[in-house]
Amino acid sequence: MEHQRCYIYSPLESEVRPSKRQRTNIVQPQNLLAERLQTFREAWSHQEKQIQTTLENADRTTQEKILDFIKVAAQPDPEDSTTIPTGLIIAGPSIASYGPYFERLGRRIKDGTDCAYLVLSSSESPNLKTLLKNLVQKATSRAAEDDDDELLPPGASSRNGPKLLNFDLGHLQGWQKRNRAQSIVIAIQDSEAFDSNVLVEMIDLFHSWLDRLPFVLLFGIATSAESFEDRLSGNSLRYLKGQKFDVTQSDEIIEKLFSATIASAHVSLRIGPNFSRRILDRQKDHVQNVQDFLDSLKYAYMAHFYANCTSIFLKDGISFTHSSPDAFEAVRNLPSFRRWVEDKLDSLETQEIRKLLDSDRYLFDKISQQLRSSQQVLSAINIAVAFLSNVRESLQITPSVPLSSLWIRAASGEMVESPLLRETMLSIKKIPSNKFLHLLSSLRNVQEDHFSLELDTYRTELEELVKNSTDSAPLRSQHDVRNDSLRTTVVAQKVLLSKHKAALSEQDKAYSELVGRFHDEIQDYFNTTFVDPQELFLSEILIYDPKLPHIEVFQPKPRFAIERALSTPHDYLGCNCCGSSGRDGEAALSATQPATALLYQLYLESGSLINVSDLWSAFNAIGGDEDSESKTMALFQRALAELKYLGLVKPSRKKVDHVAKMMWKGL
Amino acid sequence: MVSAKRKRDGSAEDATPRKLRARAAIEDEENAPDVATPSRRSRGRQVVEEGTPRSILKKTRGVDEIDEATPKSNRKLLFATPSKSTKDETPNGTPTIVRNADRSARRKSNRKLLERTINGVESDDDVLDEDILAEQILSGDEDEDTQAEAEENQPEDTPLLDTPSKRGRGRPKGSRKPQKQRSPSPSQDLPPHEEYFWQNRPGGTKTSNNTLSSQTLLDHDEFFQAMQSYTDCHESEMEFLLELHGRAYDQWIFELEEGFNICLYGYGSKRTITERFTAHLYEHLTNQTPYKGSKKTPKIVVINAYNPGTALKEVLLTIASVTIPANLKLPNQPPALMLYLLDYLTENPPSRPVPIILNSIDSLYLRKPPAPVILASLAAHPSINLICTADTPNFPLLWDVGLRSQFKFLFHDATTFAPYDAEIDVVESVNELLGRSGRRVGGRDGVGFVLRSLPENARSLFRILVTEQLAIMDEDGGQTNQDDVTATPQSKNTAKRIVSEYTQGVEYRVLYHKAVEEFVCSSEVGFRTLLKEFHDHQMIESRKDALGTERLWVPFRQEELEGLVEDLSAELS
Repeated sequence: MEHQRCYIYSPLESEVRPSKRQRTNIVQPQNLLAERLQTFREAWSHQEKQIQTTLENADRTTQEKILDFIKVAAQPDPEDSTTIPTGLIIAGPSIASYGPYFERLGRRIKDGTDCAYLVLSSSESPNLKTLLKNLVQKATSRAAEDDDDELLPPGASSRNGPKLLNFDLGHLQGWQKRNRAQSIVIAIQDSEAFDSNVLVEMIDLFHSWLDRLPFVLLFGIATSAESFEDRLSGNSLRYLKGQKFDVTQSDEIIEKLFSATIASAHVSLRIGPNFSRRILDRQKDHVQNVQDFLDSLKYAYMAHFYANCTSIFLKDGISFTHSSPDAFEAVRNLPSFRRWVEDKLDSLETQEIRKLLDSDRYLFDKISQQLRSSQQVLSAINIAVAFLSNVRESLQITPSVPLSSLWIRAASGEMVESPLLRETMLSIKKIPSNKFLHLLSSLRNVQEDHFSLELDTYRTELEELVKNSTDSAPLRSQHDVRNDSLRTTVVAQKVLLSKHKAALSEQDKAYSELVGRFHDEIQDYFNTTFVDPQELFLSEILIYDPKLPHIEVFQPKPRFAIERALSTPHDYLGCNCCGSSGRDGEAALSATQPATALLYQLYLESGSLINVSDLWSAFNAIGGDEDSESKTMALFQRALAELKYLGLVKPSRKKVDHVAKMMWKGL
Repeated sequence: MVSAKRKRDGSAEDATPRKLRARAAIEDEENAPDVATPSRRSRGRQVVEEGTPRSILKKTRGVDEIDEATPKSNRKLLFATPSKSTKDETPNGTPTIVRNADRSARRKSNRKLLERTINGVESDDDVLDEDILAEQILSGDEDEDTQAEAEENQPEDTPLLDTPSKRGRGRPKGSRKPQKQRSPSPSQDLPPHEEYFWQNRPGGTKTSNNTLSSQTLLDHDEFFQAMQSYTDCHESEMEFLLELHGRAYDQWIFELEEGFNICLYGYGSKRTITERFTAHLYEHLTNQTPYKGSKKTPKIVVINAYNPGTALKEVLLTIASVTIPANLKLPNQPPALMLYLLDYLTENPPSRPVPIILNSIDSLYLRKPPAPVILASLAAHPSINLICTADTPNFPLLWDVGLRSQFKFLFHDATTFAPYDAEIDVVESVNELLGRSGRRVGGRDGVGFVLRSLPENARSLFRILVTEQLAIMDEDGGQTNQDDVTATPQSKNTAKRIVSEYTQGVEYRVLYHKAVEEFVCSSEVGFRTLLKEFHDHQMIESRKDALGTERLWVPFRQEELEGLVEDLSAELS
């Protein structure tokens, strides 16, 4: 089978049985897997809904604008039939999100209008001819299945005239006649990657066909509309009638998604700060891709429910009979359980501890109770973060810190005592009345059930004060800088700087008192809410934080893996023969190592050009077998062929029997 | 001891004593202007341009350098630790600096110019290594540092000159101390980038001229015979690795079900893993809804992309065969076929995604432009599950961000250490690596056998080709035998050496005209027909060189070619 290129798998008779037995063995310890996965699907579908709405909201405004633009363009305009309506879509630098974006756009266009939508990407359009060929193909192949009743093949128009070549837009015209699409929307997905000559030629051609084919062009632009214009000649620019559309940038969307998924108050599984930091950094530094962010998040959920057998307790309405003894055993081994028990031991609640250890039933009750309360604490943290971010936003504190980084700080338990929080509190102290009013009204949006502040009383009191104030200037608190004045006095040839509070008016005093109360209350609120989530009992069940699975699965280092396998095969094989001596550095070469590993290490030592004959003698000297040189040679040849297959060496013509080194380890 | 030996094989004739004399003289000469004028540099250059004493100086220094450089080339093993050799012979430890000094393009062009002038003047032709000579010329040309270095070294080198060491004291010391400590041997623990530059330093690749005799390499039969008796001592460990990966099968199935695709990487053939996984997946699917209790069996597409000639169309057709009813007519071109396939899947989604097992997604046959794009769009479709393996270390470079996000891969390290039995034709690829693909036909005997079955004309054409090729090889014979005393004057020699790398083989036109001259064929059509026969038997190879001219050659080495000519002429007579 291995030499067949493509085939459909069919099991050999002999294979069927043993694999069956194997399977039952594997499944046994995972007996609650199905339930856990079910829980995962529930949890994730909730998240997915959030994500979809967030994404749609992010896209909606621009996409609707584009849609309107196309609708307008589709109306025949007798005055202006000499220009192609063109949408310039500034999609930002994250190229990876172009594909999905244009796909969504296409779906909307197809649903919302009576237009044909065709996407062209740079990779399929190296020149005008191929571009047109692809265009015709894309349009007509889709038509072929739409019109099954129509027996004419796509190239039928050729019957009336000379036979058309496969890149002739005549095909498109024939197709257009049959389908009567209102207009043909052609999206140039990555305009920067197109050769500008191709673009110019394309525009010229489309323009010349405009009287027969109603084209609408959409250009995806990563840089700016100006630089796009610069690439086209003045002549072809005259053929276009452009309108610019700005797409929400991916980092904004990510921020929105973050607050909708990870930092949202109502999620069953929380994501830990380390993991969040990791995926956000990856977004910032490497990919800038919404899909990737979502995949990472999904994989975190998957990993938690798949691998952590205590995650079964996250299931909604789980009953004692549904859970297995294994899960309880696992809970008893959690570090947070131990901490909890030790605390109880300190307070001499030995009875309680015994019950926890002995009775699964009792433990189950405790777990469900504690999970609920821990969930509440975690939700409170998320709300507090949203609150804090809102405060900062309405106070316009610079630098503006995105919600995600506030959240990460809170989730790692570093928020209390952080300079960030102190700074915010200080500016609350100094807040003038007009801003305070603004703040209170903006905070209304965040208010949720766990939130104990009575904003409305503050509001009424404040309004009272403002009404009583005769001055048009806003009220100021006593901490406001404007109420301080510096006085310089010279005493005994020394300059003394002293601060003096300006005398406060009655209203200001009352206002200061109000602000002071508000400040203290918020301070209290933050101090009680921002606890360290890792300290919570059962935080292992509620929070998923390991980074490693994510790194391994999304950011692999294949080259490193191969280099490691070849330079220290012991790391993988774990055999007795070629191991431990490698620890102290150089003595790693030994005859028992796999031939390719041996040859690779010799390869590492050599220069950029390698004499195979010398390589062979070195190999023979180390790994040689006295009895049969042909066996050693066979191994040598195989190892050399493998190095070539891996792309480590290539033939060299510089000298006879030499090969060129292609890769240096560790680069 | 080492140096004595070196001299012996470096220049066997009476050249040695004369050179020593010369060197002493020149050292004086070099020192003299140094003392006299501070504007050493310009003067030095002048002298060089005139091609007088300086050039001789270069040569003598060249001997110095060569003294150091040769042992490397004479070493039997490339891999012996080189640190020793440098220590006992570095009175003149400059070369690294010298080499470093000539990196710039300007210097390189200077070098060429100088080479020409000097080569013109020099009559003596026991120059051992062109590169080194050139570097010498250069070092004298401009770099103050190098001169300083050289000067500093000379006192140690030749006891004659201990007095001028005063001058040395006048120079800023800091600038040269670190340079002096530099040695041409690599230290053991260089960081990777340093190692790269070390191993790629100009003139750093000195390898011996040893060649493998054609008997050493095994042919197919010998290879398989040898491998049959061989058992790997790590069999149990490799089996353990496989079993370890086997534990993840259920996890992979879960990941596939959640809409991800899987990519396995790591050293070793991953065929066994995918085979076992396919069986496991098959087993799993037969117990799932659409197949359970029904006669329908799950369809898993397996593609072995490493097999030569894997074409995208075939891949797509195989996928289409399990998804699209057979009575529908499919488009012919891969991109259209793919679009059709995806559209069909979107409109009639199968009850379960179609699993595709793709071995070696990074194979040569799937790397060319349309393939990755098409594979990515396939993988992006929710009704398709892709499980693929990648063998090369740098396979992620095949995909840009867009493709990568389309693939939606989860990567798993699946190192197996298993030999790439199906993926590689070992004997063939080693032969190709060493430029001995002629062995494919079965060597000289095989060619003879083929030729005997061909008409007279074909044999004559082949003889012409071989003789022409030999003639070309003879012309730049200096390339292979560098210490060939009887070689043509160096200027020609060097020119050819640079060119010869690109002009292997006989030009198509030339060969055709020769063939016509000898009445082997009368038209180009006939000529082509004859060549085709050779091509079919893989007796000749052809390629376009940088200028676009087609070149043909017989993939044998010189000895074998000579043998061939003998055979052929013996047959003819």
